[in-house]
Amino acid sequence: MPINPLTLKKIRRFSSIKRGFYSFLILSSMILISFFAEILVSNRAIVVNFNGKFYFPTYGQIITGKTFGLDYEYETNYRELAREFKQGKGGNWVLLPPVPYNPYENDLRDNEYPPFPPSLKDRHYLGTDTVGRDILSRLVYGFRIAILFSLGLLAANYTIGISIGCAMGFVGGKFDLFFQRIIEIWSNVPFLYVVIIISSIVVPSFMMLILIMAFFEWIGMTWIMRTMTYKEKAREYVLAARAMGASDFRIIFRHIIPNAVSVIVTFAPFSVSGGIVALTSLDYLGFGLPPPTPSWGELLQQGWANMDAYWIVGSVIFAMTLTLITVTFIGEAVREAFDPRFHTTYE
Amino acid sequence: MSEFLLTVNDLKIHFPIFRGLFLRKTGSVYAVDGVTFAIRPGETLGLVGESGCGKTTVGRGILRLYRPTSGQVVFKNRDISILPRKEFRQVRRNLQMIFQDPFESLNSRHTVGNILEEPFLIHRIGSARERRERVRELLARVGIQQQAVEQFPHEFSGGQRQRIGIARAIALNPELVVCDEPVSALDVSIQSQILNLLLELQQEMNLTYLFIAHDLAVVKHLSDHTAVMYLGKIVEYADADALYERPLHPYTRALISAIPIPDPMTRGKRIILSGEIPSPIHPPPGCRFHTRCPIAIERCYHEEPMLEAMTGAKDQGGHLAACHRAGEYTD
Repeated sequence: MPINPLTLKKIRRFSSIKRGFYSFLILSSMILISFFAEILVSNRAIVVNFNGKFYFPTYGQIITGKTFGLDYEYETNYRELAREFKQGKGGNWVLLPPVPYNPYENDLRDNEYPPFPPSLKDRHYLGTDTVGRDILSRLVYGFRIAILFSLGLLAANYTIGISIGCAMGFVGGKFDLFFQRIIEIWSNVPFLYVVIIISSIVVPSFMMLILIMAFFEWIGMTWIMRTMTYKEKAREYVLAARAMGASDFRIIFRHIIPNAVSVIVTFAPFSVSGGIVALTSLDYLGFGLPPPTPSWGELLQQGWANMDAYWIVGSVIFAMTLTLITVTFIGEAVREAFDPRFHTTYE
Repeated sequence: MSEFLLTVNDLKIHFPIFRGLFLRKTGSVYAVDGVTFAIRPGETLGLVGESGCGKTTVGRGILRLYRPTSGQVVFKNRDISILPRKEFRQVRRNLQMIFQDPFESLNSRHTVGNILEEPFLIHRIGSARERRERVRELLARVGIQQQAVEQFPHEFSGGQRQRIGIARAIALNPELVVCDEPVSALDVSIQSQILNLLLELQQEMNLTYLFIAHDLAVVKHLSDHTAVMYLGKIVEYADADALYERPLHPYTRALISAIPIPDPMTRGKRIILSGEIPSPIHPPPGCRFHTRCPIAIERCYHEEPMLEAMTGAKDQGGHLAACHRAGEYTD
């Protein structure tokens, strides 16, 4: 399948915009790392060598303490196991992840109250929050949830927005008029109030929150898609397809949507950053995902309430800023690379 | 079986104008307002007129890209303007179109191979291998190198793209091809190549053309009969040569006088029309041409002339004109 040279040109142009390209590398490695976060940030060991046998506890069933000659039936505490093996002489060893804490786990100590400041010795590189959970761990898992959330939201928005927008543009007339009015009314429903009302009745799950937000945010994509469809529909290549006897289905999916893609992808990065901000602010207000789900908004809230524990608010703000800046730079670069002024050729 | 492949009978295509909150119909654009003509198999009918006169709309109306308001389009003894969609799809194979702008009529996101394969896919013809084979043949036929299959339209020049457009139109072996100003967007040097290609294809495949153009010189080169349109109506219809030798309608005379003569010594008498073509939303009463006609008389303001055979004409009834004063020119 040959790639359209125009597409190649756009990709090349994108990678020539350094700021956007490096942001893209940073963000995609962040996403990639967060998807394999269990290896790097977890209270389960990566490898355990016990009596000549290897165990890989990261993924899969829990391995109880009995397996390693301990006296309990619940999941092994690998940090303690590592300490024990170090003292013993059996040649057994444990390889812990660089951050050996799970985002849900409270690292409590005698005679001390969290939050604990950052410490290399305890491997709390960014300290702990007010209930003793590792901040780095919560940041990483919170990022994974936020990015999955915004990608899911993006998919939902685009699916609804493109279908309705395309139908409005393609059918036109009364149908279009009707939906325009519906959308105008819809867009005046105050989003935040509705979310607050809903989440005070039921505790929203991940999917439900996506649905609630998509319920309000599909509108933006609809306008764009409607205009694009109107424009593309009247072009001669669509008439040519129709003259050959192409069905409406074929015209929409083979001709109109592929030609509209170059416009709608430029909105995707901004939609992602919007999704992250929306989720974080809902969590901050306490109307987002239920605790103890790791979330940036919840950390931000804690940080705001405990300003003297500077590491909490500092870490979250740094992480947010980095993510939003990279996403925005990517968005700018994509928009720049897809700018039709650079690709339209008049002969 | 009538002797004509295509008969267009009193075709009207009006576009409604909607205004206001509830999109009430407030008027119509009378783009095509009663057009009648017929084409014999294997012949070419040239349809000329200035831009905005509705000639493109006629072409698109025949292919049902626009729905006719009234009138018949009889193709092979069947009125295709009222056929149900499913049946019309079958007829579509025999009716194809070549578009004016080769930059617009090819989808820039598809390879040339995909573009040429599309008609076969739409009508579910052949296996993947047969289709590829046919695409090769088509490319060879219109004189485009075989690598084009993997290339995209913007990699070609205007003339080459128009060849691709032609290849797509002839892919399904149609009987009638509507050529909508196929050379207007091209350089003069390329125009004749494309016209010759069209002529060759016509002979090989026994194609019938409805050739729409605004350039009388181009039409003269190609067509057997010529129809001249003005503001949604045909004002003159004749054998191609007769039209040039003895134009009867003042509008045709003005058009012909505008053809440049490549000889600095001969200075043809130019008839320069004043004013713009009137709006097709409010066509003038009486003869539609009277607002610009140099020879208009009182009668032209009230009474619309019919398209009638000029009995005095030498080509016995084959020369039609819609002008009250056409008879004065017959000799």
